[in-house]
Amino acid sequence: MIGSPDLVAFTKEDEYGEASPDPWALPEEFSVPLYPLADSNPWAKTSYAKFTKDFILISEFSEQVGPQPLLTIPDDPKVCGTFDLNYFSLRIMSVDYQASFVGHPPGSGYPRLSFVEDSRVVLGDSKEGAFAYVHHLTLYDLEARGFVRPFCMAYVSADERKIMLQFQELSLRFSQASECLKTGNRRAFAKELQRKLRDLEYTRSVLQKEEGLQREAGPQGIYSAHAVEKANELANVEKSIFEHRDLLRQISSYPRRPRRDPHAVTCPKCMTECLSEYEELLDKYATFASPLNYTEKGERREEGEGQTCEEGGEEEDDDEEGVKRRPSYIPQLIKAKSAKCFDKRLKTLQELCDETYYTATVELLKETERSFRGDLCYLHTRRLDGALRRKQKVTNFLFEEDLGEDDEEDGGTLRPFCAVNHAVDNSTLTHPPPIVLCPEPLELDALEPLDPLEPVSETSHTLESELGPGESQLESSPSDQTLETQESSEATKGSFSSEKSMEGHADGEQSLASMRSEPPDPDPDLTPDPEHNTDLERESSSEEVETTAGEDEADTGGDQTPVSLLEGASELEDGKQEECEGQRESGREGVTEEVCETEPELLVQIDTACCMAQDGFLYEASVPDSVPDVGHSSHPQPPHSLVVNQEPQALLPLQGDYAVGSPHSESPTPGLELPVGPPGDTVSRCSAEDGSDCTMSASTGSDRAASPLGYGGVVTLRQRKKAGQGALRFVRQYPFALQALWCLLSGRTLVVLGADEGRVRRLVAALALFVPGPGRCGERVQAWLSCPFTLTDLQRWKLIGLQRVASPVGSSMLYSLSRYSRYIAILDTDQKTLRCPPYRGQLLANIADHRTYIRRGSTYFLHVQSTLSSLAAKAFLFTFTHHLHMPVTSTEGPEGLEARRRSFLQEQLGLREEDSQILLYLSQLITQQYLQPATGGSAAAPCFSFNYTTSFLYKI
Amino acid sequence: MSSGCPPQSPAVAKSEVPIEGECPLLAATFAYWDNILGPRVRHIWAPKGDQALFLSDGEITFLANHTLNGEILRSAECGAVDVKFFVLAEKGVIIVSLIFDGELKGDKNTCALSIILPQTELAFYLPLHTICVERLKHVIRKGRIWMQKGYNIISVLSSEIIPIMELLSSMKTHSVPEEIDIKDTVLNDDDIGDSCHEDFLHKAISSHLQTCGCSMVVGSNPDKVNKIVRTLCLFLTTAERRCSRLCKADSSFKYDTGLFVQGLLKDSMGSFVLPFRQVLYSPYPTTHIDVDINTVKQMPPCHEHTYNQRRYMRSELSALWRADSEEDIAPDTVIHTDETFTPDLNIFQDVTHKDTLVKSFIDEVFMLKPGLSLRSTYLAQFLLLLHRKALTLLKYIEDETQKGKKPFRSLRNLKTDLDLTVEGDLNIVMALAEKLRAGLHSFVFGKPFYTSVQERDVLMSF
Repeated sequence: MIGSPDLVAFTKEDEYGEASPDPWALPEEFSVPLYPLADSNPWAKTSYAKFTKDFILISEFSEQVGPQPLLTIPDDPKVCGTFDLNYFSLRIMSVDYQASFVGHPPGSGYPRLSFVEDSRVVLGDSKEGAFAYVHHLTLYDLEARGFVRPFCMAYVSADERKIMLQFQELSLRFSQASECLKTGNRRAFAKELQRKLRDLEYTRSVLQKEEGLQREAGPQGIYSAHAVEKANELANVEKSIFEHRDLLRQISSYPRRPRRDPHAVTCPKCMTECLSEYEELLDKYATFASPLNYTEKGERREEGEGQTCEEGGEEEDDDEEGVKRRPSYIPQLIKAKSAKCFDKRLKTLQELCDETYYTATVELLKETERSFRGDLCYLHTRRLDGALRRKQKVTNFLFEEDLGEDDEEDGGTLRPFCAVNHAVDNSTLTHPPPIVLCPEPLELDALEPLDPLEPVSETSHTLESELGPGESQLESSPSDQTLETQESSEATKGSFSSEKSMEGHADGEQSLASMRSEPPDPDPDLTPDPEHNTDLERESSSEEVETTAGEDEADTGGDQTPVSLLEGASELEDGKQEECEGQRESGREGVTEEVCETEPELLVQIDTACCMAQDGFLYEASVPDSVPDVGHSSHPQPPHSLVVNQEPQALLPLQGDYAVGSPHSESPTPGLELPVGPPGDTVSRCSAEDGSDCTMSASTGSDRAASPLGYGGVVTLRQRKKAGQGALRFVRQYPFALQALWCLLSGRTLVVLGADEGRVRRLVAALALFVPGPGRCGERVQAWLSCPFTLTDLQRWKLIGLQRVASPVGSSMLYSLSRYSRYIAILDTDQKTLRCPPYRGQLLANIADHRTYIRRGSTYFLHVQSTLSSLAAKAFLFTFTHHLHMPVTSTEGPEGLEARRRSFLQEQLGLREEDSQILLYLSQLITQQYLQPATGGSAAAPCFSFNYTTSFLYKI
Repeated sequence: MSSGCPPQSPAVAKSEVPIEGECPLLAATFAYWDNILGPRVRHIWAPKGDQALFLSDGEITFLANHTLNGEILRSAECGAVDVKFFVLAEKGVIIVSLIFDGELKGDKNTCALSIILPQTELAFYLPLHTICVERLKHVIRKGRIWMQKGYNIISVLSSEIIPIMELLSSMKTHSVPEEIDIKDTVLNDDDIGDSCHEDFLHKAISSHLQTCGCSMVVGSNPDKVNKIVRTLCLFLTTAERRCSRLCKADSSFKYDTGLFVQGLLKDSMGSFVLPFRQVLYSPYPTTHIDVDINTVKQMPPCHEHTYNQRRYMRSELSALWRADSEEDIAPDTVIHTDETFTPDLNIFQDVTHKDTLVKSFIDEVFMLKPGLSLRSTYLAQFLLLLHRKALTLLKYIEDETQKGKKPFRSLRNLKTDLDLTVEGDLNIVMALAEKLRAGLHSFVFGKPFYTSVQERDVLMSF
C-alpha cells in the first residue's frame, strides 16, 4: 500500500528539473511563487525590514549636501536599527515633485516666492522592505537658493498595506503637521525679513550720511569717484530694500491666495493671526525709515557699545511680539548685495520655524507616530470595533469600556484643527485628569449623548462644569444629590494632597499658557519650557497604542506557568504601578507625571479597623480639565470639612434609587415599586423593611473607596485587558469559577473575602470584567471594604472585596456575611471556597473552562469580550422583542406574557433556568438604561432582587 | 560622428478608449527610462468622450516622466513590481505607478505603467486601489514576458487598462453606497421569507461570509438582484462596500475581478457567461448566488483558492513564455490544459458546511420590529461578535505558534476553546480572520492540503 510519506518523495518536482533544465520552462523571475512566504508564516511578511518599529523621518534636500535625514520620531537609534537613513532620504527626496521655479520669473522685477502645495507620495524599497508615506513641503529661508528649502516628513513602515489602507488618515495628520510647520516658518520668515529691512534701512541711513559728507566735502557739481561709488552703493541698498519689501508683501499675501490642494488643512485662526501681523509689518515698512532715527541710534550705539539700546529694545518688543529669540535687535550695517547672496550658513529646521509652531509640529508628529503604532490588523479592528459600538449605544454600558476617546479620536481625524491652538483649547475638553471622581451628572451626560431632548440635564451639566465639582457639591442641597454624586463627593473627602493636585493642574495650565503667550520673555531662561508639558504628554501615552501583541510581551510568562493567586505583598505595589501606567497610557493630556509619581502618597493607608474614618485607600478627585478652576485656588476647601459636610448625604438618595429600576414610574409609591423581575416564585424583591436597613447601611458603611479598576477614573481598555490576565488565572485555578461568573452575570453580588488586600484587589479587578454595567468608573465594584456591609451596599455594589480581620469589627463583618448569605455569593480567597447557588447552564461553559488552552490573558480577554458581546446581543433581543412584553390580545394577562417569555428563553434561545436568569438580569439593566438614560445605567441597580435557592459550598 | 543634434524623440503613441459614461481616469501611460534620453513616454491611453477634466498630451507626458524620477536608484530584485502613489496637489492629480524592469530593444530598462486620476477622486479611488494594482501587476507579469520576447507590450497592457477604465467608470455610477439603509434590504421584511426563502437567505449570507464577503449575485430582475446585493453588503465594512457594485438595470456589466459583491444581470436567454479566469483571479473565493432559482454555490476555501489561482497564473505565464509568436496566444485566453496542471472548471460547489452563527442571527433578527432601527442595532451586534471572534482566533493562533514560528497543530483545541466546533462557524470566523491576516488559511490548513494535492497529482500521473 502506498502511503503519503512514500508519495511525497515523488512530488519533489525540482530534483530532476535541476539536472536537465527545460529550455521552455518559465524562469522564476517571470513567474509567481506557488508557495509565497505569507503561506508559511502570515506574520513574517515584514520580517526582512532592518528596523523594528514604524517611525517618522524628517529629511531635507540641502542645497549644500543634498538629501539628508534630520530627525526621527521616536528619536531613538534603536528604532531605525541598521536601516540606512541616508540612503532612504536620498530615495524619498530625489525628486522635486513640486516643480517650483526659482528667482526672477520673466517679466518680473523682483524675486518671486513660489507658493507650492504639498505633495504626498507613497513609495517603497522592496529590497529593503521599507515603505513610506512621504509628505513633501517647502519652507522659506531668506538665505537659501530661491528662498526655498525643500523638506519632507515620512512615515516609514515595513508594511505597505498599512500605509495604503490608512492613507487618508496619514495624509490628514501630516497635512496638519505641515501646515503648522509652514505657518511657523512664514512667521519666522517675516521676522527675518523685518530684521533684514531694518539692517538695510540702517545701512541706507549710514550710506546717505556718508554720501552727504562726500558731497559736501567736494566742490559744487563735481563728484569724486568715491562719492559716485557711495551713491551706487546707496542705490543698491535701496533696490534691495524694495526687493525685501516686495518679499514681505508676497509672504503677507500667502493666507489670501487660493488653495489648489483640496486636502490641505488650514486653521482660520492661525491665518487671521498671521494676516494681522503681516499687515502691521507691511504698514511699518511701506516707506523708508527716517535716516535721522538710525543715525541717532547708530551714534548712540557707537558711544556705548554693549549697553542695551533702550529705544531699540522697546521698539523690538513692540514689533516682535511672541518672539523669544532675542530681547532686542540691533540693526547692523551690511553690504548691499542681491538678496540671494547672503551668508550661506543654512538655518536648521528649528531656526526656520517659530518655536511654538515647531514644538507643536513635533508634538503632532509624535502623536501621529503613537496613533499609528502597532499591527495593522489590530488598528483596523479597533476602528471597526469603535464604529460598530457606536451603533449600539443602548447596550454598550453593559460590558464595553467608554467610547469617549474613540469618539474624540475619530472626530479629531476628521475635523480640521490647528496643532497650536488644539494643544491649548482642546486639551481642556478631551483629556480629563487621571484621577477623577467627577460628579455623576457629568458622567451620565457623557454616557448619554443620544438624548438631545434633555435640556435640563444639559443645563445642569453646564452649570456644574462652570461651578467646578467642589462648588457644585457644596451648593447643591442634600436632597438634590443622587447616590452617585454622594459617592463622588465621598471620594473627595480627606484628600489631604488635593492642593498638590491642584498645583499640578495649575502647572499644566501655566505651561499651556506659556505656549499660548504672545509677548516675548525677556529672559529666555525663565520661560517655562514648553517641552515640559509635551514631554509629559509623551510619557503619559507612550505605550497607549501598543497593540495586544505589544502587551503580550508584558504578560509573557505569567500565563504560561501554573498560576497562583498568592503573589505576596508586592502585588499591591504592582497594582498601583499598573494603575499609574494605565493612566499614563490612556493618553490623557493634563496628566502630570507628578500625579503618577506621587500616587503612593495619594493612596493613604489608614487603619482599616476603623470604618468610620476610612476603608482602605482614598483617592482624591482632581479637578476635571473641562471645568475651569474657578474658585479652587481662591476657595480652597479644607479636606476634613468636606468629610463632615458630605457624610450625612449618603443616606438620602436611596429611596429614589429603588424606584429607578421600575419601568412603571407612574406608580403611586415609586420608592417601593418593584420592576418586572425574573420569572419564578422563589424570587423576592426589596421591600420597605429593606429600606430601613438601608438607613443603617449608609450610616455605617460610609467611607468607600473608588473603583478598583480606574481608581475613580474612567476604566480603559488597557486596564480591562490587564484584568483579562487575572481572570484567566482565576478560571484556571478555581474549578468553580463558572459559578462565580454566573453569580456576577446574573446580578448576585459576589463578595471576595480575604486577608491579603493585594490578592483581593487583584481578584476583584479581574472579576470586574464580568460585572454587567459596572459604570464608567467602575462604580458598582467595591475593591476593598474593611467594615461590615449592609443590604444597601448589596444594591449598590455587585462585586465587593472584603477584608477578613480578627477584631470586633471582623466579627461584625462575619455577622453581616452570614446575615446576607442567602442573597450573595462568597468567594473566600484564603480558604479557596465559594458559597453560592449551583449553576447548571451552558452559556458560560466556554469562558470558564479551567482546562482551556488559551495561553495569554489578552487572548482570554478577547474571548471573554466576544462572549459578553454575544450575551449583550441576546439580552437586547429579549428586551426589544415586541411580543414578549406586550399582550397579543386584550384578554391576555401577565401569566400569558410570562409564559411567552419563558418559552422564548427556553425554546427559542435554548437556555436553561440559570442562563435565563443572566439574560433577565441583563435585560432589566438595558430596560433601565433605555428608559432612564440620564440617571440609570452606569451606576444604579435596576432593582434589588434575591433568590431563595439553596447555596452550596464549592471547594478546590 | 555626432552631428550635434539631440537624438530624435520617438513619437508618443496614443489610444483613445471609448468609455460609456463618465470615466474618472484621466489617462494611463507606459513610460520607460531610456539610457540616453532619460524618462520617455511610450504610450498613452485616454478615455474618449466628454471628460470633465482634461489633460493635454504634454501634461500627461510631463507627469508620466515624473513617475520615473528617482528610479535611477532602483535596486529591486529582478521581476519585482513596486508601486508608487502620488498625490500632486500642484497639478491636481493622483498618479498610481507600477515600476518594473523589462527588456526593451535589448537593454534592461526601468519601466512605469501609470494611471492618472484627478485629485478630487482620491476618496473614490482609494478603496479600489488594491484591485487596480493587483490586476495591473499581473498584466505586467505578462507584459514582461512579451518584452523579453521582443513583442509589443502595448497590446498586453491594453487588455487590462481598458477593463480598468470600464471598471472605474461603472463604479462611478453603480457602486454600493457606504451607508446602506436597512430598508432597502431583505432584513427589513416583516417576516422571514417575505422576499426570499428562509433557507436561501441563510445559505446566501453564510456562504457570503465564508468566502470573505466576496459574492456575485446573478438574476433576471435587477431590483431583486440589487436587494440581495445590498443585503450582503450589510455584512461588509464601509471600505468593502465601496468595492461593491450594483447591477445595471438595462444591460449587464462584465464580471470584474476583485470586487466584493457585484450584481450581474442575465441576458434575455436567462444565462450569464462567467469568465473562469477572472473568477479564479479574484483575491478571495467567491459565492455564486442565483436569485432566479435560489441557488447558492461557493468556491473552495481561501487556501485552496489561492493555490489554484497561483497554479493557473503560472500556467498562463508558461503558456505565454512558450508562445512562438505574438498571435499565438491572445492575452485573455483561458488556459485549459497544461502538462502539469488541468484547471478544474467546476469551481463552484454546493455549500456543505452549516453554521449556527448566521442561522440564529437570521432567525432572531426578524423577531425585532422593522423600521425602529432595532434590526440595525442587532446587526451591528452580530458583526461586532464576528469581528471579535475573528480577532480572538487570530490571537489564539498567534500565541500558539509564536507568531508563525511554529506550525499550528491544535485546531481541535481552538475549536473547543473558542466555541467554533461547528464547521460553518469556523469557516466564517476564519474567513474574517483571513482578511485581517492574509495567508492564515494556508498557514493553518495549507500543509495537509498541498500534500493531498500532490498525492493526487502523483496518483493521476501513474
